[in-house]
Amino acid sequence: MPIIEVEGLTKTYRVFQKKEGLLGALRGLYRREYKEVKAVAGINFSIEPGEMVAFLGPNGAGKTTTLKMLSGLIYPTAGDATVLGHVPWRREDAYRRRFALVMGQKNQLWWDLPAGDSFQLHREIYSIPRDQFDRTLGELAELLGVEKLTRQAVRELSLGERMKMELIAALLHGPQVLLLDEPTIGLDVVAQAAIQKCLRDYHASRGVTMLLTSHYMRDVEALCDRVIVITHGTLVYDGPLAGIVERFGESKLVRLQFEGPAPERREMERYGEVSRLEGPFADVRIERSRIAGALADVLNRHALADVSVEDPPLEEVIAKVFEEARLAHDAA
Amino acid sequence: MTPPDVALAPPRPGPLPSLVKYARIFRVALIERMTYRSDFLLGTILRFLPIVTTVLLWRAIYEGSGQAELGGFNYREMIAYLLLTNISRMFSSMPGLAGGIAREVREGTLKRYLIQPLDLLGYLLSSRVAHKVAYITMSFLPYAGLFYLCRGYFDGFPDPLQMLAFVVSLVLAFVVGFYFEASVGMVGFWFLEVTSVLYIVMTLNFFISGHMLPLDLLPQPWSGLLKVLPFQYMAYFPAVVFQGKVRGTELLLHLALELFWAVAFAVLARTLYRAGLKRYSAFGG
Amino acid sequence: MVAGVARYARMMGGLARYTLAREMAFRGNFLVKVSVELLWMGILVAFYRVVFAKTSTIAGWSEPDYFFFVGCFFAINGLIETLFLENCNEFAELVRTGDLDFLLLKPIDEQFLISCRKIDWGTAPNLLMGAILMAVALVQKGWTFDPGRVAAFVVTFACGVAIAYSFMMMLTSVSVWMVRNQSLMEMWWLFSSLVRYPREIFSGRGAEMLGRFFTFVVPILLVSNVPADVMVRVLDPGMIAWTVAVAAASLWVSRRFFHVALRSYRSASS
Repeated sequence: MPIIEVEGLTKTYRVFQKKEGLLGALRGLYRREYKEVKAVAGINFSIEPGEMVAFLGPNGAGKTTTLKMLSGLIYPTAGDATVLGHVPWRREDAYRRRFALVMGQKNQLWWDLPAGDSFQLHREIYSIPRDQFDRTLGELAELLGVEKLTRQAVRELSLGERMKMELIAALLHGPQVLLLDEPTIGLDVVAQAAIQKCLRDYHASRGVTMLLTSHYMRDVEALCDRVIVITHGTLVYDGPLAGIVERFGESKLVRLQFEGPAPERREMERYGEVSRLEGPFADVRIERSRIAGALADVLNRHALADVSVEDPPLEEVIAKVFEEARLAHDAA
Repeated sequence: MTPPDVALAPPRPGPLPSLVKYARIFRVALIERMTYRSDFLLGTILRFLPIVTTVLLWRAIYEGSGQAELGGFNYREMIAYLLLTNISRMFSSMPGLAGGIAREVREGTLKRYLIQPLDLLGYLLSSRVAHKVAYITMSFLPYAGLFYLCRGYFDGFPDPLQMLAFVVSLVLAFVVGFYFEASVGMVGFWFLEVTSVLYIVMTLNFFISGHMLPLDLLPQPWSGLLKVLPFQYMAYFPAVVFQGKVRGTELLLHLALELFWAVAFAVLARTLYRAGLKRYSAFGG
Repeated sequence: MVAGVARYARMMGGLARYTLAREMAFRGNFLVKVSVELLWMGILVAFYRVVFAKTSTIAGWSEPDYFFFVGCFFAINGLIETLFLENCNEFAELVRTGDLDFLLLKPIDEQFLISCRKIDWGTAPNLLMGAILMAVALVQKGWTFDPGRVAAFVVTFACGVAIAYSFMMMLTSVSVWMVRNQSLMEMWWLFSSLVRYPREIFSGRGAEMLGRFFTFVVPILLVSNVPADVMVRVLDPGMIAWTVAVAAASLWVSRRFFHVALRSYRSASS
């Protein structure tokens, strides 16, 4: 039984077309033109309990809009969704007690108060039993290494510390579904890793279901087995992380080390794009279908000391997926 | 629109390019204002409610007193005066100005004025002029309608010279109001939450500017004292100029005094801004 | 039901505590705020003293009766400002920045959280100031104690607060559609000018119609008029019944209106 089910989910915005210049603004006072913008155009997917899914797409693809519909913040124009058996936008208390949304770009803690006070308020709002509250808070604060900071006014914390506090606030009530919108945006590598570790540990101990958007492939690689890619409001890929490379990564990086000096650039360029050529080393990007032939050919002509074949970095593949989707969209 | 003179302007632009820059800010702010028409409409309608209730209140007061004149104002003059103070306030009130400055300081968005070649006070002044122009243009018809409906309270228009003095007093009322509120906003550099100070000032100003009732109604020495302070120029003074209650040398003297206060507040606002910035950068923002 | 009420009461207590803690972190401002309110009361008293130096009645209200009315308005308005005004004022900004998201996520009534989440302690003494003014007015009037009037006053006072709150909620909700709704504070100030004076000033042609309009169609005039009336002037059971009915109806309508408005919330990103 899936924990999140989405069917034909659509959100259309009516956007006021602002006219150029002063005259246009004056005219706009009396007659307005609107344009329909499809932020999410009928997407379907379902997620099983305990899955950790990455939700990828370029800016404006509709990821955040989808997450916001799943959190019940905005009403869809059409389509259905159930999370934990609830229709999110009814915003029943029973639902809101069981999930959490973390947004990396916003903060919900009271700016002028210590985070600890905000946590207490959370306890009241979510009616968390005191012993459970104390235990969870202790665990999370230790996990994130912020035990000493909960008495300090939030405005005095660094971005990374603040984000850790936000994460604690989101996890205090023990949500079964965790929606994360760019949880590591703007953080340094150390803070990013801490947040990733916390999420991983939390997932391991509680079996929480997670849906996360991020622009950092590091987050995705560290956390998620499954990836959903949407561009222009439509789903273009839904499957395992490894599959995306297979499906969209058309070439691999072949690193060669020759016994003697590497051959001339012109010769190597017959196989593919040469990215490095010095001494005995040559790195060539070769289309997947041609790798076997190319290697055989090289071995025929030269003596090789070492060979490795690598997948292109995930970032590159994803960028390519987005680019192709954009071209397809522009053409249509 | 196209020539990128702003981008090409030297680090310390001369007066003309900066004028162009502020003119552009003015345009953008004006366009932005116009797009929020429903806000505008509701705001304008609401703005008439206090006028109606005040007229009714004063009618009840005059009826209750059974006298024709209170403090040298008969009933018609009183209503005309109160209507006119709304015109004065239309020029001199600056909703959100001081609070906006304080917010920029508190939330650190002030930094952009330190990074960009843009002067905070200049920016605020040009966008405020835009607000005022938009507001006054938009409320011209409703106000014209209101004054037409209330024409019975007026004895026609004053003579051209008096009219000129009225216009000058209004423009100066704008400048006095702007720099006065800007100065209050600068207090935000020292008090984190300046909104309350602002409230004191607004509250007090409501009374001592003569917006609630003509200063002449107050017993001495209060009425004399309040006429010495700068606040009367934000409501009382333009109204009585229009009504012809101030004339000749007295009128000239007060116009000169109004100009003096305008300059004084401008200097104060700028001084506070400089001092505040020093403090702000010392804190590291 | 009882558990629910207890939970909301506890939450209100918690919110009150935290806002007080925050307020005390800026103690100077708190004091300034209280003095503003004192000042405003002083101005009101000064204004009406000046006026009553020239007349003995306003629209049929004698000086002590009128001051009782002013005290009553002051207390109601003080309560509204303490509990709701600041929150409603911030609503437009929450919509604009999308920070409303966090309030909508909480497993708690949205209207409760949005309109009651911060208590503006600086205006809390207004209730006391209004009460003092009312008490002084009653003494000056030589009022004799009448439990019926006091009971009617308490009921209609509560209804007045409820009606004023409902109107404020509706003004607030509108900001979902009109993003960057300048300042609710200012709008409320303008709108509540209807509450500031006795209903009897709406006399003469045109004005009488307007007075009826604001009593029966958009019944904002009931807010401070009815409680003051039942205490120092006429005790009209019909008017009390109408006020109670209006209070219930306006609470319901404003709540519906608020929920309809929330459906249009777009949740701005970043």
